[in-house]
Formats: sequence, structure tokens, C-alpha cells
Amino acid sequence: MGNCLKRSTTDDISLLRGNDSVRESSSDQLSPPNYQEALPAQQAILPVYHPSPSVTRSVAQLTEEEQVKIAKRIGLIQHLPTGTYDGCKKTRECVICMGEFMVGDALRYLPCMHTYHMKCIDDWLMRSLTCPSCMEPVDAALLTSYETN
Amino acid sequence: MSEPQSALLLRKQLAELNKNPVEGFSAGLIDDNDIYRWEVLIIGPPDTLYEGGFFKCHLYFPKEYPLRPPKMKFVTEIWHPNIDKNGDVCISILHEPGDDKFGYEKASERWLPVHTVETILISVISMLADPNDESPANVDAAKEWRESYTEFKKKVARCVRKSQEEC
Repeated sequence: MGNCLKRSTTDDISLLRGNDSVRESSSDQLSPPNYQEALPAQQAILPVYHPSPSVTRSVAQLTEEEQVKIAKRIGLIQHLPTGTYDGCKKTRECVICMGEFMVGDALRYLPCMHTYHMKCIDDWLMRSLTCPSCMEPVDAALLTSYETN
Repeated sequence: MSEPQSALLLRKQLAELNKNPVEGFSAGLIDDNDIYRWEVLIIGPPDTLYEGGFFKCHLYFPKEYPLRPPKMKFVTEIWHPNIDKNGDVCISILHEPGDDKFGYEKASERWLPVHTVETILISVISMLADPNDESPANVDAAKEWRESYTEFKKKVARCVRKSQEEC
């Protein structure tokens, strides 16, 4: 795919050329920057990661080892079930943001059966793979649940 | 842009603590315009050496709260093994999980995003009653607490008296 960072300069030309680049220059290209091709000057808008909870690095500054660690973590998190709050569950509050669940909120369920807003818990899991309520390590619990199923 | 989630969460806690105060401390802001910097007055817990004292503390929250812990500092002079001589509180729940292999070493004792001003203060008050000898922040106080308790008691009593005068 095209590099959206160059978009502002190539836009007009690509439109003039017509055919193949039309989709590329559509407005949704404004969303996530292209990580691989981003220039150092663009670091301010790069996503940041936390190889460990107190370490904050932009994606361009990660070591190879940290990249692997974070990729594994993202993979694990994606294996955790998600759902939408339907208003009739036992849990009514997300203990991270102390906000009540509203019908339609995206939720994530941890193996220990604790439930949080997806946004709230994913931000935490990207720093530490433990359930904030019971401290159960999420990765170990996930592996166990695979073995028992 | 709307207010960050951390500010909303802290505002909610402040309102809740104003409405339903918790025994043992009172909480407010250092500056009404800055929700990230709190001033807390801890009442020396009964049946401890700190009984009768009024200890002013500051809590400094990062913008990433509750993903990252606040820092806590005693403004009132205090003599305690887990509070260093500058007043900085050294308590495991205010430390982030270490950079251990799996990211959850002793997770139960470390910072978790479910901690609030209330749970932090409860831990600190229990620390006043029951110092943790294993990780002293004030080595001299820890040594005294272990080896010359009478001297330790005297120093604490002096802080308690001083805190009453300042109040």
C-alpha cells in the first residue's frame, strides 16, 4: 500500500493520472500512519509501546527482541474473547476506568472470568499480562484453557 | 479535545471522597486547577507510634494513570523505615511490575490499574502501623527500628509532636 505520509504531495498528481491510485488518496488514508516507512521526523505521531511497564518507546526505537516480545503479547491479547455489553451481565462496572458498562460497549473477557472495557484492559495488558483484579497471569491461564479444551 | 481519561477518573475519585470520606485521611488538591496533584492529610493511625500525628502528603499522578502509579511524598517530616529522608514513600504497590521475563513478577504486590487514592492510602496507613523491614528507604530508621526501638520511638514521637504544631 502507498505511504500515506507522502499523500499531501502526491495526491493531486495521482488524481490526474486517474485509474490505479484513486483509492489510495481517499480520505480514510488519514488514519494510522505507515509504521515501516515513517521518517524520524514523524516520530511524534508514531504509536508508542511498553516493552516493560515503565519503559515507553516509539515503534521506531524498539529493539528486535522488544518487537518480538510485543508481537507475542499482541497475539496473546487477540486470542482473548471479546463481546458487547448487552445490559444483563453480572458485572456492571469496569474497575479500571470506574465507569459503568453501557449497552454496546466493547468488552474483553479474561480467562479468570474478569471483564473489562476492551480499551481499558488492552492498554494494561500491553504493559503487563496480568488480570488487575486477581493478578492471575493471563498467558499461563490461556495456555491452561487450551490444554483443558 | 476532551479531558483525558486519567483526569476524569481522578475527578470521579475526588468527588466520591468528598461525598463519602474514608476514615484515616482527608483528600483534596494542591491546586484546584490541577487534578493530577493531590494533597492528603493522614491521621496517625490509632494504637501505633504515629497516633495523634497529622501528616501532610502529596500524590503526583502521571497522565497515564491508572496504567502507571502516582508518586507519593510526605511533606510533614516523618521517621519511618519505608519513607526516605526526603519524604518519598517506598511501597511496593507504587512500583510498576519489573522487567522480568513474563512481566508479572510478584504482580500481587506491584502497581495495578485498579488502585485508587483510597486503596493507596489504606496501604500507606497500614505501612505506618507495620513497617516492611525488607525494603527500607530510610536505612537509619530501619536499623533503629530493629536494633534500638526506644530511640526509634523517641524520634517518631518528636515527629508526631512537630506535626501537631504545624497543623
